[in-house]
Amino acid sequence: MLWHKSWLETRWRFLIGLAVVCCGAAGMVLVWPKIAELLPLASSLQVSGELGRQVRESVELSRDYRGYIWSQWFRQNGSHLGTLFAVLLGTGGLLSQPSGVLFTLSLPISRGRLLTTRMATGILELLVLTVAPSLFISLLSPSVGKTYSVTDALIHSSCLFIAAAAFYSLACLLSTVFNDLWRPLLLALLAALALAFIEQLAGDSLRYGVFRVMHGESYFLAGDVPWRGLLALTAASAGMLYGAVVRTLRQDF
Amino acid sequence: MSEPLAIETAGLRKTYGGVEALRGLDLQVPAGSIHGFLGRNGAGKTTTIKIVLGMTRPTGGNTRVFGLPAEQRQSSLAIRSRAGFVSEEKDLYPYMTVEETIRFTAAFYPGWRRDLEKRYLRSFELPVDRKVKALSKGMRTKLALLLALCRGAELLILDEPTAGLDPAVTEEVLQCLVAHVGSEEMTVFFSSHQIAEVEQIADRVTIIDRGRTSVSGALEDFRENYRRIQLVFGEEAPSAEKAPAFRGPGVLRVDRRSRALTLIASGGAEQIVEEARALNAISVDITPVTLKEIFLETVRGEG
Repeated sequence: MLWHKSWLETRWRFLIGLAVVCCGAAGMVLVWPKIAELLPLASSLQVSGELGRQVRESVELSRDYRGYIWSQWFRQNGSHLGTLFAVLLGTGGLLSQPSGVLFTLSLPISRGRLLTTRMATGILELLVLTVAPSLFISLLSPSVGKTYSVTDALIHSSCLFIAAAAFYSLACLLSTVFNDLWRPLLLALLAALALAFIEQLAGDSLRYGVFRVMHGESYFLAGDVPWRGLLALTAASAGMLYGAVVRTLRQDF
Repeated sequence: MSEPLAIETAGLRKTYGGVEALRGLDLQVPAGSIHGFLGRNGAGKTTTIKIVLGMTRPTGGNTRVFGLPAEQRQSSLAIRSRAGFVSEEKDLYPYMTVEETIRFTAAFYPGWRRDLEKRYLRSFELPVDRKVKALSKGMRTKLALLLALCRGAELLILDEPTAGLDPAVTEEVLQCLVAHVGSEEMTVFFSSHQIAEVEQIADRVTIIDRGRTSVSGALEDFRENYRRIQLVFGEEAPSAEKAPAFRGPGVLRVDRRSRALTLIASGGAEQIVEEARALNAISVDITPVTLKEIFLETVRGEG
């Protein structure tokens, strides 16, 4: 019953998220023939500076379908959407709905059980949000005359899931600090933006940045799964979720 | 042997930031009673209820429900499995239908009473397929009451159960409570600032003011013991210092105006009258005091 309650409370965020990521992934695959046609033209573009470097890099990566999927989905749209929906799913904690808190707390259920069920529901939904579009890419690629390895899809989506779970956990933790829905949401998104900015500035010197792990860059370039980064992020997520549970156990309602 | 207590607090304190919500509350709710918990807004009624149900941790003091310490997590679970609660806001899940809310709640209570569920669904005329968010406040109150009554609870805790309801629904809710308690063995502890409804259904009353118990006891004892004593003197009424009985522990209030002296006392009326006559009172009038007057006198003292 608690699972059902958690599902009812998060289903719209999840279903909207699933529709958005699946449409995004499908659109990216289906537009590939057009991109392939335009690539020769893109080589003649004369753009200088950081933007020019990024455009040239993107064009180079997109010459190959695997590179196109990685740069467009796992490094850009997929990671942006994954971060956004991770924060949206994590926001709320035990107070995921403003009504019904006292009623829930009056039931013979421990706060720990309430919160872990809520968190586990969110984590499972996040897993689906990150894995489903990746598998969708593999499934849809033959329609444009290409293939995308299921193994690659699973490894990249696992990196995306584990890194996004860190933002989910941060949102859960912040939701136990603030009693409203907006501050945890905005602070978690600000934290994500700040980290992205720092990683951008740090460049190659930061090997295990959250977004670098999320993109699975080392796997794409060299076939190396970023185990250390994944373990560190898993530990950080576990720590934040534990903190959220401890805070909720001590909280007055 | 003293009667068993469903709820007992001793020296209960709760501070929010620098604000003292409870300042050493002593409360005793005998098992099987309908206990009214009266107090002004902000007196500490809801805080007490939240502590009893383990939703809020006290700053100090003890709380025992069914003899179990309410502050301990495991005990609190056991307490909540034996208690029903209706909050002031009747805040249920707006996204569930009436039927879903009932099935969700029933899942946590092995002793869920399907017979009562059917009876109250019928008598309350609750639309089972309607979402909670689409229910009126009266309907939500009835649903919250159904959820509290059907779980087979030994203790029913109601926080301002009739707040915001029209008189017809208020009467329906109160009658339902009385009828339920008449047929099932249970304790009802309900907070209110509606004195009339406390007088209507309660057999015991505790009046709380500024986080402390002001008076507590059986409603019948209140009616029998509390008296207003109006004394008129031939000259200026004497000050309370002149008669020890005027300052006795049972005297709630002394009001001195010219030749008249009015006392409200919970006992010792005979001694007061005796001392008044010794001070040359020319008129003595003793009348019963209503719960409303006791309440007002109690809370006025510090207000």
